[in-house]
Amino acid sequence: MKRWKSDRGLEARMLMTMFLLVLLYSGFLAFLYTMGVNQLLIIIIIAGFLFLQYFYSDRMILRSMGAKEVSESEEPRLHEMVRRLCQNADLPMPRIAVVRTSMPNAFATGRNQKNAVVAGTTGLLSRLNESEVEAVLAHELTHVKNRDMMVMTIATFLSSLAQIMVQWLPFMGGGSRDRDSGGNAALLLLVAAVVWIVSFILIRTLSRYREFAADRGAAIITGQPSNLVSALKKISGFRVPTEDLRKVEGPVSALFITPALSGSSLMNIFSTHPTLEARIEALQKIEMELEA
Amino acid sequence: MGFLDSLLGKTKLPEAKTDSLFAISTASVTLEASLGYRTDGEAGVCIKPLESSRYEAARREIEELLNISIKDTGTRYRIQKDEYNYIWVLLSDPDFEDLVTGVQMVSEVLIENGFGTQLLAAVYRFQGEAAIYWIYNFKQGTYYPFVPKSGRERDTSREFRLRALMQKEMPVEKDESRWYPMWGMPL
Repeated sequence: MKRWKSDRGLEARMLMTMFLLVLLYSGFLAFLYTMGVNQLLIIIIIAGFLFLQYFYSDRMILRSMGAKEVSESEEPRLHEMVRRLCQNADLPMPRIAVVRTSMPNAFATGRNQKNAVVAGTTGLLSRLNESEVEAVLAHELTHVKNRDMMVMTIATFLSSLAQIMVQWLPFMGGGSRDRDSGGNAALLLLVAAVVWIVSFILIRTLSRYREFAADRGAAIITGQPSNLVSALKKISGFRVPTEDLRKVEGPVSALFITPALSGSSLMNIFSTHPTLEARIEALQKIEMELEA
Repeated sequence: MGFLDSLLGKTKLPEAKTDSLFAISTASVTLEASLGYRTDGEAGVCIKPLESSRYEAARREIEELLNISIKDTGTRYRIQKDEYNYIWVLLSDPDFEDLVTGVQMVSEVLIENGFGTQLLAAVYRFQGEAAIYWIYNFKQGTYYPFVPKSGRERDTSREFRLRALMQKEMPVEKDESRWYPMWGMPL
């Protein structure tokens, strides 16, 4: 398989996050075992649920997004572009879908490289120029190449169990007869809640690292990190001004509204994607690496 | 600008900053060596006129000032008006160091003679895969890239790439909402 120069720091942070998740999940399982919960049954149910999610997610996601698969004759240019990128990235050709919305966006789904679907919105295709669309598709293809669907499905494994426990335990606890099991139920609820919250933050952290990795992959597949910078800027609604400096500085100057880009840092740990600024900064570093 | 000034509406126009103007001189080495953009010996200083009626007077004044101070270097210059009625001092010199010195000198002379608040931008053109411009905004004291394509479109990917590679070498404007283009420059 074709490999590219990786970002050691990013890999280390990703491994650390995954290690913490494994640690958390093992601790949780051990706790469930000492509490005498019939874990086997629960794990089978959850595993079955995740299995379904893993195998049918592409169809589920495509339907929930209103994506329509397009054939080569419907979108020849898009197919051509993806085929070229796949050759560069050493990937099998995925199916291609289009979502009818003016919001520029794109996503990838599918349980493995052979069953991948890459989708873009009509807004993406109309507002971005060819090299920017290519950069966005390369980002999505890197998600496919990095098997992000599988990684994230596994990462959410016991988090889903903890979540279900938090949601259902308060109603089940009332049925117990002795006081001791009532105390146990409260402890179980508390631990499940902590596991849920901590795993949630870890999963989101991992998700942000996967985004950085996908940006990096896109930069390397296309060889042009700045195309992705330009695309991300456009998707987030920002445009480099087209109004002439002399007009802006002219005698009749208007009041300009500059967008406030910085968000609060506390919300950042809950978000699935890194901030635009952080992504652009990382891409600028890659640009300098590629040039060196 | 102080709070009291704002309250009383006594806004002062920002003075022109020339401190970072020279940064293009060392940056041009990297620009040529690793990116393949060469200077074509052309640069310009763009000046905002006070009123259109004063254009002739201002033009004559600038011309006289430059005649005295620029004579000894080999830099050639001419003064021209553009479609927005802005005055341009266009300089040409095959030696980039001399060109930068020329632009610096023009700016200093204009500031010393009370044109400081009207100095808008200094522009350098480079040729490579495409013609690119580095625009120095005197109010911000920073440079930004401008790569025009046909039909009033700009090549933003290339501009972002230029920033990524050059921001260590020279002060590049971080806020892209200030990257105002200058269409149809006389250089």
